[in-house]
Amino acid sequence: MTRRALAKQHTRRRLLDAAKRLFNERGYEAATVRDIAAAAGLSTGAVFASFSDKADLFGAVIQDDFEALAHHLRGAGGAAASTETSLLALFSAIYVYQRDHVPLVRAAIGYSWLGHPQAAACVRGGVARIFALIDAVLRAGVASGELSRDLDVRLTIEMIWECFMANYRHAIFESCDAEALSARLAAQIRILLAGWRAEAA
Amino acid sequence: MAPRGEKRQATRERVLAAARDLFDEVGYEAATIREVAGRAGVSVGSVFTGFAGKAELLSQVMADRVEALQAELEHVSPHLRGPTADRLRSIMAVHYGFEARRLKLFVAYVACSFTWPADGAVSPIGRNHRFRGLLVDVLKGGVERGDVRADVDIDLFIDTLLAAYVWNYRRASQDGADAQTLIANMDRQIGLLFDGVAPRR
Repeated sequence: MTRRALAKQHTRRRLLDAAKRLFNERGYEAATVRDIAAAAGLSTGAVFASFSDKADLFGAVIQDDFEALAHHLRGAGGAAASTETSLLALFSAIYVYQRDHVPLVRAAIGYSWLGHPQAAACVRGGVARIFALIDAVLRAGVASGELSRDLDVRLTIEMIWECFMANYRHAIFESCDAEALSARLAAQIRILLAGWRAEAA
Repeated sequence: MAPRGEKRQATRERVLAAARDLFDEVGYEAATIREVAGRAGVSVGSVFTGFAGKAELLSQVMADRVEALQAELEHVSPHLRGPTADRLRSIMAVHYGFEARRLKLFVAYVACSFTWPADGAVSPIGRNHRFRGLLVDVLKGGVERGDVRADVDIDLFIDTLLAAYVWNYRRASQDGADAQTLIANMDRQIGLLFDGVAPRR
């Protein structure tokens, strides 16, 4: 890589780290490009050389966070006993990864709900990767004979995800710890899968 | 009420009606306090006398809708018949039908629920005790009628149901899905949920 490209990459990393920190501390509206640039020790010009606007920067922060999450989740698998155990390990790992920047996660979700194309696209892309992980676990459950072949995989993935997401609303996430949230989610997953246990009797 | 109090109340109601209509027409993000004031025929200062900002306006607009939705539910609830799953489907269809008339409001409300603290004017989604109480009653009735297992954690079940209910609105905001599509999706989700709580044969 050329020296210029390397310098640009370094600048981008400084900006993303500063933006992540400020968006997390102040939320999307209150964090300004000026403050983010200052926190990164750079000019606002440097911001706009890499990002078209604040929304673009926010989208990049979200994407960056999802990539780091995917990296973190690589270790979360393993030869787990049951579908529920595997899924719980996955979601526990996500809660643990996110717990030091929950406000940022909530801002990203909220922002994507309001229809901002960049945030929505980045969230959708990141979520698709997690869906693929859930999909793999469910299909393994079907293949192993634990779950019925008639399982509506797509519908189940979405409903598990919806329960997971619901915890980010309001103060639920602030007042509960990752362990308590994971336990509750596990119980909900149990309900969702209960009708799909391959019949033994 | 003294004349000044009456005037203030009338202003407040005009502001809330203007906010409600504007948020619904152009969306919460795009709407400005200036436009709300203009539509209500008051000064920006008048708006800020009654409300700290846009978030508080939306919060009050949503709180004011509760009675109308409650009335629709009370209209339907004495006439619920058939399997418990179908009774829940009817209740959720009333919710979707009601919110679909001012879809952007509910979408904005969900978006804000990811970033608001828990002390807003309106109770958190899923925590309105009257709406929730109706669901609890139907499920308890289901246990009595014999189509819901007695050992079901009703609160957990309702949380799971409501997680799916809320997330369906994303289809409306992102894909332009109409109320019928949301209701059809909820019907399938309720089917999956009930497969998990049906009495074992």
